Amino acid sequence: MVSLERSPIMPATRATIVTAQTRTPTTEQRENHYVIETDGLSKRYGEGIIAVDKLALRVKRGEVYGFLGPNGAGKTTTLRMLLGLIRPTSGTALVLGRPPGDADGLRRLGAMVETPAFYPYLSGRDNLKVLARHAGVDEKRIEPALAQVDLSKRGDDRFGTYSLGMKQRLGVAATLLKDPDLLILDEPTNGLDPAGMAEMRDLIRGLGRGDRTVLLSSHLMTEVEQICDRAGVISGGRLVAEGTVAELRGRDHLRLRAEPLDAAYRLVAGLQGVDSVEVAGDALRIATDLAHAARINRTLVEAEIAVSELTREQASLESIFLGLTNHTNGSHARHQIGGTSHVGHAR
Amino acid sequence: MSGMLGSVSAELLLLRKRVGVWVLLGIWTLLAITFSYIFPYITYVTGSEFGPDEQSTLAEMLPAQVIDTTIAGFPFFGGALTLILGVLAIGSDYGWGTPKTLYTQGPSRGRVFTAKLLALGLALVLFVLGAFAVNVAGTAFIAWQESGAADWPSIVEFAQAFGAGWLVLAVWTLLGVLLATLTRGTALAIGIGVLYTLVLEGLLSAFATQIESLEPLAKGVLRTNTYSLVRPLGSILEGSTDNGPGSFAGPYVGTAQAFLVLAAYVAGFIVIATVVLRRRDVV
Repeated sequence: MVSLERSPIMPATRATIVTAQTRTPTTEQRENHYVIETDGLSKRYGEGIIAVDKLALRVKRGEVYGFLGPNGAGKTTTLRMLLGLIRPTSGTALVLGRPPGDADGLRRLGAMVETPAFYPYLSGRDNLKVLARHAGVDEKRIEPALAQVDLSKRGDDRFGTYSLGMKQRLGVAATLLKDPDLLILDEPTNGLDPAGMAEMRDLIRGLGRGDRTVLLSSHLMTEVEQICDRAGVISGGRLVAEGTVAELRGRDHLRLRAEPLDAAYRLVAGLQGVDSVEVAGDALRIATDLAHAARINRTLVEAEIAVSELTREQASLESIFLGLTNHTNGSHARHQIGGTSHVGHAR
Repeated sequence: MSGMLGSVSAELLLLRKRVGVWVLLGIWTLLAITFSYIFPYITYVTGSEFGPDEQSTLAEMLPAQVIDTTIAGFPFFGGALTLILGVLAIGSDYGWGTPKTLYTQGPSRGRVFTAKLLALGLALVLFVLGAFAVNVAGTAFIAWQESGAADWPSIVEFAQAFGAGWLVLAVWTLLGVLLATLTRGTALAIGIGVLYTLVLEGLLSAFATQIESLEPLAKGVLRTNTYSLVRPLGSILEGSTDNGPGSFAGPYVGTAQAFLVLAAYVAGFIVIATVVLRRRDVV
């Protein structure tokens, strides 16, 4: 895995990792710090299919963590293992300090995996009643949960008559019955129209405020960008990158169009504060602090190089994601973050 | 225990609100009254075919025989219908994907499954009571209409019949539960179950009367043991050698043996289904 936390260009963060490696936290400390913690978590089907491969995931208490990956990357399989629905082939996992599927752990979490599954012949309200009774939750919590997802008025309608958006919202309401410490949501905006997606994202953002931890699985970069504090990118069953959204996006770049371009390249590459320069079509892509933009411009003008464009270029998380997942193959991942090439392993 | 009570309450809600359960109960009670009283009474009233046996036909429809008449339908018709009930209660969940929703709410798989079985057990009480209720009403009407003797069986006899009837329905229900668990669905489970119930066991029993070596095998199957369990309660069964799809000509086993074999089936079905449920991935 390539993690900016471990990158040599971020020594402060690296020091934190070294400290963590040299001191083994107690179970209580771990539970207080990491709500989800996996080590070498793997799931194989038969001989050939590796759905999840030695996954090391750390989700901190109180954060909204995005679990990003293309379809078939192993996200849902991972979530199922975390919930005790399927058994890992190897590796370990702790959820809220408990093994996956442990009743004490499940009592403190709410989960929606893939499409919300309820009894189609029951109303939304009765479906929540069934879940509340099984979970030993006071049925008085049903109405607030329905209200929170704006389903109070349709609560007596049969689940089978619900639109996909309403089904998703009922799924979220079900996760809220227990006022959980941890929410695990798998592609909660799947199938929603743009307005529904916006509503759902607002809802999730609201749910993630305070001490509650949210693990949000998604294949939509914009979703993670809008909602999450931190994200991990999974591809081919392996975690290939992890960090804050800003870290994943990498440092800002400047886009420079100038004439003659080769002279501009030579000049800018030699300037102090410029990390790297690369040719991108008819322009240059400069990795540097934005504060250097004015100095770069002045230097070019003084050298009688005609500058026609000097703009800030921010890599979208989507492009980073595509880069990470397209270039990942086998046990190693090579990709570019912030103009620096890294080779990483899944932790 | 409150957790288990909550789970049972949830499962009872699921059964109570499901139309299919009420349809099965309706079919079951309709079959019971139709073939036990309505058709025989119409035949009796129209006088066709009976001749010298007319009085015995009437006697079979009077209150003294109500247990015999009612219990005769349990091993076959009741078995087939409650097998479907068991399949629906478990198999539909797989189609809807609800196990993952339930299992992530906190209760263990074992608790959810136990709650389902307890709820089904309670539902079967309704099935037993329903069959007896309609037949008691039927025989009471005929006794009144024909001025027949109203010699009702004792409470103890009724209680024994309820218990035997419930066990017969329970073992068939659990076969449905097991098949649905193994096949993770309804269609295949019902197909296999009905084929086994209506065809395979019937053929085995039929051939066992002609091929001696098959008799031990035939004595171990559900049909033999369910009929053997209710046989002492229903003298009508003695003469049901060749009388429609529910007829059974033996071989019979003793009542105690039948009870033990059925209890072993109940335990075996539950254990196998529980082990499979606990070990298998929920996908």
